[in-house]
Amino acid sequence: MTLTGFIGRIFFLPLRLIISVCVALRIHPNILTFVGVLINLAAAWQLALGHFISGGVIMVVANIFDFIDGKVAVELNAVSAFGGFWDSVIDRFSDIALFLGLIYLYSSKGRTDYVMIASIAMMFAIMTSYTRARAESLITKCKVGFMERPERIVLFMIGAFTNRMAAVLWVIGVLSVFTVADRIIYTYLELRDRGEHAVV
Amino acid sequence: MKRAATLPARVLWNAFFWTYERATWQYDVMVVAILAFVWLTPPDWLKDPMASGPGLLGWLRSLTQ
Repeated sequence: MTLTGFIGRIFFLPLRLIISVCVALRIHPNILTFVGVLINLAAAWQLALGHFISGGVIMVVANIFDFIDGKVAVELNAVSAFGGFWDSVIDRFSDIALFLGLIYLYSSKGRTDYVMIASIAMMFAIMTSYTRARAESLITKCKVGFMERPERIVLFMIGAFTNRMAAVLWVIGVLSVFTVADRIIYTYLELRDRGEHAVV
Repeated sequence: MKRAATLPARVLWNAFFWTYERATWQYDVMVVAILAFVWLTPPDWLKDPMASGPGLLGWLRSLTQ
């Protein structure tokens, strides 16, 4: 077993318990998704104030909801097309909220350089999701590139708990640029292999 | 010789054009590299607005001196 696989299994044990509680209470997964974004807004506010530790703790709670909604949907037999759409849309709000918190923080400190770094990282984080969604309207699957949402969230938490948010923003920014590029290249190659020509 | 020259290029290309799943050894290597960058890079080098000092790298260097 790999290191990250082992860590994933350890963290899944308490999550399994929370999923069981939500299933027993028959909480609708769309509600869990919405509660997640509300808690993420609180995390963003803490980041905006420079309270990284409390921001990190709130992020952990918010992302428990984010993580379990799909699993609860499966167990409650409540998987729906709208649920998937709702989850994707709400996830973007959560993503943007965290970045906005940091942009506010750096702006209040007069650090235009980091306002720009956080803004560029935010732009490419959103484009990461958009390129995949758009690509998958043309090809079957476009799951290439490293920096997806789970990686971003874990990095945000690491940055918050260890006060290394600047380094984390650099990593998210650079790897999100690569991820978007990967998805564009991959989609181009897939379409070319199908014999379809790019129409501009 | 040709193989030796192409291996680093292939590694770089595979790191850039990422197609590996989570929980693979390649993923682990990438995670370790990212964590090393985040924790070892001195905040002063990045002009971190919220942290300062030489960081873990500076601390390790001070241990060796």
